Amino acid sequence: MDSEEPIVFAIDDDASMREALDRLFRSIKMRAIIFSSAEEFLEFKRPDVPAALVLDVRLPGLSGLELQRQLNGSGIPIIYITGHGDIPMSVEAMKAGAVEFLTKPFRDQVLLDAISVAIKRDRENRKERAEIAEYRARYQLLTQREREVLTHVVEGLLNKQIAAKLGTTEFTVKIHRKGVMQKMKAGSVPELVRMAQKLELPSLKH
Amino acid sequence: MFTSSGKVAWGQSFCSYFVAVLVVWLAVLITLCLGPALKHTATFFFCAVMVSSWYGGLWPGLLTAFLSWLALDYYFIPPLYSLGVSPAELPDMLAFTATVWFISWLNSNQRRAKGLLQQAHDELDARIRERTADLNRTNMQPQSEIAERRAAEEGLLQAQNEVARIARITTMGELAASIAHELNQPLGSIVVNGGACLRWLEGASPNLEEAREAVEAIIRDGTRASDVLVRTRKLVGASQGTRERLDINGVVQEVIGWSNDKLTRSSVSLRLKLEEDLPPVMVDRVQLQQVILNLVMNAIESMLEVGQSSRVLWIRTEKRSLGDLLIQVVDSGVGIGPKVSSRIFEPFYTTKANGIGMGLSISRSIIEAHGGRLWLSKADCGSTFCFSLPIDREARSG
Repeated sequence: MDSEEPIVFAIDDDASMREALDRLFRSIKMRAIIFSSAEEFLEFKRPDVPAALVLDVRLPGLSGLELQRQLNGSGIPIIYITGHGDIPMSVEAMKAGAVEFLTKPFRDQVLLDAISVAIKRDRENRKERAEIAEYRARYQLLTQREREVLTHVVEGLLNKQIAAKLGTTEFTVKIHRKGVMQKMKAGSVPELVRMAQKLELPSLKH
Repeated sequence: MFTSSGKVAWGQSFCSYFVAVLVVWLAVLITLCLGPALKHTATFFFCAVMVSSWYGGLWPGLLTAFLSWLALDYYFIPPLYSLGVSPAELPDMLAFTATVWFISWLNSNQRRAKGLLQQAHDELDARIRERTADLNRTNMQPQSEIAERRAAEEGLLQAQNEVARIARITTMGELAASIAHELNQPLGSIVVNGGACLRWLEGASPNLEEAREAVEAIIRDGTRASDVLVRTRKLVGASQGTRERLDINGVVQEVIGWSNDKLTRSSVSLRLKLEEDLPPVMVDRVQLQQVILNLVMNAIESMLEVGQSSRVLWIRTEKRSLGDLLIQVVDSGVGIGPKVSSRIFEPFYTTKANGIGMGLSISRSIIEAHGGRLWLSKADCGSTFCFSLPIDREARSG
């Protein structure tokens, strides 16, 4: 996963700024694609690699903040750049999960640092998302009975208690439990609990 | 009121009838005294009827006529000393009776007419008096109205000042924000390009071509930033009103007119020394008024900290040998310290609690836009602000 080369997207309506950013990214051999509007960016088919988005707040058409709202599902980290040192706007942006809010003019190093933070965050997010996808796939392999046992194990019940709840013997519960641990590839109960938390399993109705 | 007027009326009619009897008695007396010397016996009785009807009206008149007839018949008409009338005297007596009745009627009518006239006159008189009183009252009213209006005007002026101040701040704020944004765009590019340029130059084999391009972009953006300023300046310039040839002293007087109230309230005495027959200047009246008003207001405010007796504001105008006019606004205030005086023309620099620090900065731009200069010439023991304005060329050549 780490071998994936990250990419920086930048959106600015100012041609001179686009050119400057392009020159800066090329100087450090960073892969970058620069757009002049939010719409142009949305149309672009993004490659599935760690990424960061450098976004001008004031854009013609769809504004930076509106774009952020639309993008929130995809989780790409955003670094805002703006010609206005507008405090309410920066608060709103940071609340919505922006990595950084930079006021023009800013030092190139400050921007590059923010970008590397953003990419690191995106990489972690992607790893997390991949992990969850993997757990979900494993969970799909469990039988209905095994899923029930899993839920009770995560709740911290003893085999005897689970058997009483499910109206079966302790021996049967032990067998289901072994199946759960194997299929979920969990080395220990704490690991299983962590997986269950990430899966955000709906608690079974008693 | 009612009873007294009734009494008066009763007394009057008693008087009338008394007179009616009295005049008949007098007529008898006079006629008897004169005796045969009198050619017409009835003469004084006619007079009596006239007097009585004139004085008392119809009924006393008629009473006099009746009594006269009786007296005449008794004393003078044969057979004498009896009320009988001989047939020979009958036409005369009838004529007398008709005449006195007619006189009575005529006189009383005329009297009533005169009475009505008098009444109308009295009414008119009363009405005039009433109206005069009303007028007097309304004459008193304007004074309180003037005071009220003056208070309202003062309130309005204050409100206007406040609105103007807020509008100024808002406009300035918006203008400043838009200029900042316009400038930050090229500045942002310049800084990023500068950073990129340094990175291209770093390392064992610097990429000079990329660095050169970055520097070119920096130059381009620098020019762009300067264009923003030129544009802004043009924008401010375009908002100038029309210029006209004006007498600077007239403008000073106008501003003094507006400031009089504040001068009086702040106990500032004003000394004007305006050179006569100054050549005209080509200026925007409103802008020039703004500048002078700003200087005058600053001067007044600077004197609030010194004693009332020593608050003096001088305004001088003169023609300089350089071919321009010099206007000086001098105050006897606390003066301006060196730290402040070096920054006083900077935009947004202010020493006032509620100032925005644009007054002198804008004033200087206005005067410079008119081809003049604005400066602080003396800062200790009061301050002297001077500005110069070029004399209108046509006036100079003419």
